[in-house]
Amino acid sequence: MKIDTMIRHFREAYRGVRRNAWMSFAAISAVAVTLFIFGIFLVFAFNIRYMTHELDKQVAIRASLVPQLTPQQQDELLKNIKALPKVKEAKLVPKEQGLKIMKEAWGEDGEEFFAGLEGDKNPFPDVIEVQPKDPQQTEELAKELDNFPNGIERVDYGEAVTDRLLNFSGWVRNVVLIFGLGLATLAAFLISNTIKLTIIARRQEIEIMRLVGASNWFIRWPFFIEGAFIGVVGAIVPTTLVLVLYQAALTSLGAGEQYAILKLMPMLSLGINVSLSIFALGAAIGMLGSMISVRRFLKI
Amino acid sequence: MIEMHDVWKVYDNGVEALRGINVKIDRGEFVYIVGPSGAGKSTFIKLMYREEKPTHGVVLINGVNVKRVRDWKIPHVRRKIGVVFQDFKLLNMTAYDNVAFALEAIETPRRKIRPRVEEVLELVGLSDRMFAYPSQLSGGEQQRVAIARAIVNNPSFLIADEPTGNLDPENSWDIMYLLEEINKRGTTIVMATHNKEIVNTLRQRVIAIEQGIIVRDEEGGEYGYED
Repeated sequence: MKIDTMIRHFREAYRGVRRNAWMSFAAISAVAVTLFIFGIFLVFAFNIRYMTHELDKQVAIRASLVPQLTPQQQDELLKNIKALPKVKEAKLVPKEQGLKIMKEAWGEDGEEFFAGLEGDKNPFPDVIEVQPKDPQQTEELAKELDNFPNGIERVDYGEAVTDRLLNFSGWVRNVVLIFGLGLATLAAFLISNTIKLTIIARRQEIEIMRLVGASNWFIRWPFFIEGAFIGVVGAIVPTTLVLVLYQAALTSLGAGEQYAILKLMPMLSLGINVSLSIFALGAAIGMLGSMISVRRFLKI
Repeated sequence: MIEMHDVWKVYDNGVEALRGINVKIDRGEFVYIVGPSGAGKSTFIKLMYREEKPTHGVVLINGVNVKRVRDWKIPHVRRKIGVVFQDFKLLNMTAYDNVAFALEAIETPRRKIRPRVEEVLELVGLSDRMFAYPSQLSGGEQQRVAIARAIVNNPSFLIADEPTGNLDPENSWDIMYLLEEINKRGTTIVMATHNKEIVNTLRQRVIAIEQGIIVRDEEGGEYGYED
């Protein structure tokens, strides 16, 4: 398409929006509300994906060893575990290290609190940390380890957290998607209505364009641009709002680093993902609205 | 060249507007289409610019079967045909813009638009009224703008549906002289009309349609009706 033609299409689209200012405003508002809800949803969706991903990276099976094992037996056991097909990595964490980690986690008070627990009094077991090859197989692998002939006292892994997170996200997703799709349909119909008004207002021009042999797409383009314009303008406010709210959430939650489980996605990558998605969605709703009207009312 | 072979047009409501039309209009001809109201003249004309498709039979425009043309190619067929109506169908913009609109719509390069529009407006005698709006123009002037718009793209045919129907006799004659001039420059003209005086004075080929059938087709014929 030629630049001149493109400019013309944009001009016509803009004139269409201006001509039906109130109707366009209503459509833009409907798009904005829809996209705001989608935006919140996207924030959750992206974060849940991010968190599960982060968790997956952390998920390790901790196999506590019975205290009586000799270092040779521990090495033997570690070798056997490493030989399992589902295991990506396994390493021995001696109880001294366990104590050290715990002390560090407690910060300044740790030294005092855990004083006197070194050496023989150390209550921590020696642990073998196992990383599964596939996080999905964590549970199976844990069971396998639990059934190991001897040497392992207890097997722990982060089952509860991951499962609950995934269940919750699935549930939220379905509710929001159904609700959101309903709203998106409504917004598309409002847009199609404004496009219909433009088509009616321009029916004489359209008739002349047909008569003089304008191509079908030449006639249709301005309406698609008008719809996309409404969709994209409708995306500005919700995007800003969602990002501002997210920044606020980050600031207030980020104050306490102890919520390791609530490790939120950083602003930059979330911002890019969410804004792009909201704008693309807005443009898509707009184009859909135009398409409905162009198909129904634009007789070419 | 326009050819019709055994063309029938039956509308959805069952009305048989055309019932077996056979006609051939050569390049450069000037043809009047006459007949009583409701005889099928408008349908006949609409078939020529592909506003309607024949129910049966073949319509060839410059050898192209319009019924077989894919939808997206129809605009290209229409570019060979200019159309003028009784009610002008001008847009609410200046005479210049109305004519330029036709060139813009077919994506003519911008630098070519201005000289061509000025040339055509001069041909129809409106050089000094270029920036007047339709409401500031007389009926005859409006029809001349419409003609300018129809021929600005150098079509092979100019189809006119009662072009003088809304004009007083003086303006009607001006329009007829203009159409004659355009015809002399090589454009084929097909004109549906009820104007007895014009048909009987500016003698051309006359095709009379009654009840969907061509009842008369004679070179230099008369109008032949009393209305």
